Amino acid sequence: MKDQVSALVDEELSLEDSEYLYTAIRSSETLSDSWTTYHLIGDCMRGSPIFKSDLTDRIMQQLEQEPVVLAPKAKKAVYKTPTLWSVAASVAAVMFVGWMVLQQQVQTHGEAAPAEIAQNVASEYLLAHQSMAPSNSAYYIQPASYSESEK
Amino acid sequence: MKRGVLGFLLVSHVALATAAGEATGDPWMVLQKAAQAARELSYQGVFVYQSGTGSRSVQITHMNYGQGEYARIVVLDGTPREVLSQGRDVVIFSPRNEKVIIEKRRGQNMFPAVLPSNLDAIKTSYDVRLGGMERIGGRDGQMVILSPKDKFRYTYKFWADREYGLLLKSMSANDRNEPMEQFAFNQLTLMNSQKMDWFQPNVSPEKQYVMEEPGAGRSAPVEAITWSVDQLPSGYRKVDEITRLVPGKPAPVTQIVYSDGLASVSLFIEPLLKGMAPKVGHSAFGATHFYANVLEGHQVVVVGEVPEATVTQIANTIHFKK
Repeated sequence: MKDQVSALVDEELSLEDSEYLYTAIRSSETLSDSWTTYHLIGDCMRGSPIFKSDLTDRIMQQLEQEPVVLAPKAKKAVYKTPTLWSVAASVAAVMFVGWMVLQQQVQTHGEAAPAEIAQNVASEYLLAHQSMAPSNSAYYIQPASYSESEK
Repeated sequence: MKRGVLGFLLVSHVALATAAGEATGDPWMVLQKAAQAARELSYQGVFVYQSGTGSRSVQITHMNYGQGEYARIVVLDGTPREVLSQGRDVVIFSPRNEKVIIEKRRGQNMFPAVLPSNLDAIKTSYDVRLGGMERIGGRDGQMVILSPKDKFRYTYKFWADREYGLLLKSMSANDRNEPMEQFAFNQLTLMNSQKMDWFQPNVSPEKQYVMEEPGAGRSAPVEAITWSVDQLPSGYRKVDEITRLVPGKPAPVTQIVYSDGLASVSLFIEPLLKGMAPKVGHSAFGATHFYANVLEGHQVVVVGEVPEATVTQIANTIHFKK
């Protein structure tokens, strides 16, 4: 069924022939999630301007300004906000660990093992470096912060 | 018509191959062909990336049939990261717990396309010589060694396919000849098909797909730069500069990227505000060296896949204009 949803998004199936699929997508939560996912991926790959950061910011601002309506219909809009925030929160958490280690290090006059500094403190810088360097395969294969936060 | 295009492709492969074979006398020519082959040929294979104690197998599919480059990279070990690129546009899919984060990036040189098309920058900083012929992933590779002319970069070794010119293996090593980073194909085939059915990510419908958080790469208003690096190690030049807001930091961070054509270093400078713990010291992690310093109320961090001497010199020769 999911393959069929993908095919419909890619316009490999015509809408006229897939009325049953459309009905299924509307009735099943899993299928409607797949429908959204395939569209998101398709838009990314085609370089859709919708995902330019300024527009995202604008939408986020509008979402914040909107009053929270405690009605079932508003559920979807409110839902987006916490997912984005949780990513930001995890980045902040990694950096907080970094600072803690650094402060300890400063207090002990740099007696901490160098490897610890590299792994904990510098990951944010390493990641920024890897993502900007003209030739850096490591970013695609084994980015610094990901291997750390997986633990 | 299709047959015609295919025929032309085959001929151009042979032409490249012969040129690489004949060029064994000139090591720069071998590298030039390798740079070209990685972008122009269509190939599929699995290579192993090693850095420090970690290693990852990576599957790469690269296609170029005159309408531009398409590539799909799948990390086979650990987290199933996936990268799809079309020309200079790159989309990265990184599963993280129950989510898949989608990142969009500008393209970078990646194995086997690690060599820049223009080798002039490299020629000023490295000496070149041919090594022997070695068998890698079932193919014959001509070794070319780039030795640094000074202490500010690593030694690089490349193995180019004798027939197709494509890099089969690349390795960097420090001055004690310890390997830093290594890439090596253990399986490589050329593709003659023009089918694009491989050019799509492997979607996990049960996971939630989200774009990376918008705050990460947001650029900040550029402030006048009040400092300069007085003694940039020779051969390095500035290739990029960005000032951005980083989540959790009150002041914008300026990042400047320097490269000698192969190696690259990033310099980060940000104002050291009250309550921030200053970072000071040197450390290393695999091929990467870090150097952190505090200068005139600014936190300076230099990071790169370069020897300690390079990060130290950049950090220590920053001069603030009064």
